[in-house]
Amino acid sequence: MSQTITIDPVTRLEGHGKITIQLDGQGKVAHAHFHVTQVRGFERFAEGRPFYEMPSLMARICGICPVSHLIASAKACEAIMSVRIPHTAAQLRRMLNLAQMVQSHALSFFYLSSPDLLLGMESDATKRHLFGVVAANPELGKAGVALRRFGQHIIELLGKKRIHPGWVVPGGVTEPLESAKRDEILALLPEAYKNIKLALDWYKKIADGFKAEAEVYANFPSHFLGLVNEDDSVEFTDGALRLIDPSGAIVEDGITAIQFPEVIGEAVEPYSYTKFAYYKPLGYPEGSYRVGPLARLNIAKTMGTPLADKELVEFKQLSAGPVQSSFYYHHARLVDILYGIEKIEEILTDEKILDTHVRAQAGVNRLEGAGQAEAPRGTLHHHYKVDDDGKIVWANLVIATGQNNNAMNKGVAQAASHYIKNGKFTDGALNRIEAVIRTFDPCLSCSTHAAGQMPLALSLVTPDGEVIDRLIR
Amino acid sequence: MTNFKARCLILSCGNTLRSDDGIGPWLSEWARERFSHEPGVEVITRHQWTPDLAVDLSAAETALFIDCAIDIGPGEIQLKEVAPASADAILGSHHTDAPALLGLAEAYYSIAPRRALLLTIGAGSIELGETFSAVVQQALPAAQTRLEEAVASLLDRTLPR
Repeated sequence: MSQTITIDPVTRLEGHGKITIQLDGQGKVAHAHFHVTQVRGFERFAEGRPFYEMPSLMARICGICPVSHLIASAKACEAIMSVRIPHTAAQLRRMLNLAQMVQSHALSFFYLSSPDLLLGMESDATKRHLFGVVAANPELGKAGVALRRFGQHIIELLGKKRIHPGWVVPGGVTEPLESAKRDEILALLPEAYKNIKLALDWYKKIADGFKAEAEVYANFPSHFLGLVNEDDSVEFTDGALRLIDPSGAIVEDGITAIQFPEVIGEAVEPYSYTKFAYYKPLGYPEGSYRVGPLARLNIAKTMGTPLADKELVEFKQLSAGPVQSSFYYHHARLVDILYGIEKIEEILTDEKILDTHVRAQAGVNRLEGAGQAEAPRGTLHHHYKVDDDGKIVWANLVIATGQNNNAMNKGVAQAASHYIKNGKFTDGALNRIEAVIRTFDPCLSCSTHAAGQMPLALSLVTPDGEVIDRLIR
Repeated sequence: MTNFKARCLILSCGNTLRSDDGIGPWLSEWARERFSHEPGVEVITRHQWTPDLAVDLSAAETALFIDCAIDIGPGEIQLKEVAPASADAILGSHHTDAPALLGLAEAYYSIAPRRALLLTIGAGSIELGETFSAVVQQALPAAQTRLEEAVASLLDRTLPR
């Protein structure tokens, strides 16, 4: 007799999703799916809006990574305007995007995942949160809180708001950087360096204890996609896309935003509102790939900053080719943070960073434009078409979570097959399956409002609807 | 002796696009003006209360939390003492409540405000909208008065008009 296990909702994620695991008559995992259960509709209701409203509108998609949407959207608008933004504006946007990456990664690593890593996957579910981290390692918890504040404070200083800043506009940014703000950010850097060093040192000490998890946490060969610069260094805001195969060989390089749909397609599945991106020449689902911190570090040959470069060398020693286990998203995330802090320092010491020419002006010069950027959790693509008046007639967004969607589903199936035996499961097994999803840090819908505490229920249900086992959190 | 950054930290949360849920931000922004000449009063307005606010609380001598409530009558105003939650409390990563924030400040930084109050106003509506329900609109003057009284109490002195 087959059974279905449902984890609804999955906890400690950015948004709301559920997992179902179908068992066969022998109690083995037959199918596993990660469902995204919200529908948003941003692409459709953007139709008819003036293109220059798009960055502000699209930023509302997400409360965690609005800056990435602002930037990808503004770049798509600039393609429509056919303008190149001033150097200073590009640098300021890069800093804003990096600040967002730092705060988002801090949330993912310290708030959402460190309870599992510090307290254990099998530890008491009622203690697996920040208070539990406080009790076990207060210095680590404080470092996480401080890194999140660091990123958020920079966003607030530059964009005047911690969430949904409106500072990034088509053509550049609305205001230049003031010297007082530059100095204030510079003064924050020593503590940020200290905190990320503490986190990296701690992670490297405990990582070996999770080798068994790394074996089954979405550990399989896949392609990887991410932005790089011409010198093969990591890039978050400009550059072009590179796709590597499971051996690390480059299969596509220099993919510009407008070329993206020639290379990447999107499939739909009946069980999720999130689409499934794939590499077109391989088709779906064979062409599925991964994006985000793991992909960035697998693709880049250098981070382009001294401290992060040392960490990259160490990271690449985890595997002869690309690191395939999604467990190591955690490690990559910390290297990303270190890179972000170093790059912010580099940008602030750019001699032109206080220039006041920070915006280019133009109207509609093309009827189609696309923009791409690296969001904290991976590549983000915005593509718009406008009419002669500049009103949006079509929009398509390809988000990082959609690009990781197939890998997350495969990862859930892999972990479930390993941890569910004979149709029986424990709370720890449930948490491990959720933890696979957390490694990807998917962003399902941060901007929606949730009231109350999210419960977690996992049920074993027979095909005729009989609940034969149930766990409630 | 501790050098507090704020003698009284006013900390509100709410969504100004969800009708009465915006009462916290509205009151705290009013307080920012009202107490602009009070150097010991600091105001932080947030969409949600997140764990990082524990840092600000650890540097405040007293705190006044302001929020909308759905467990009291519409327009009802409630002011009560609030104590730090124990380490067993469930702490959300995206949103926390006043006791949890105080508990976090105490746990991480070994210091929390010596006294904290929670001012709540019962919601009549939290549907989409940028205006208050009639009942909350009517309650605004009384809520402002309670807020003033709370700040005076936390500062332990009478405030000039």
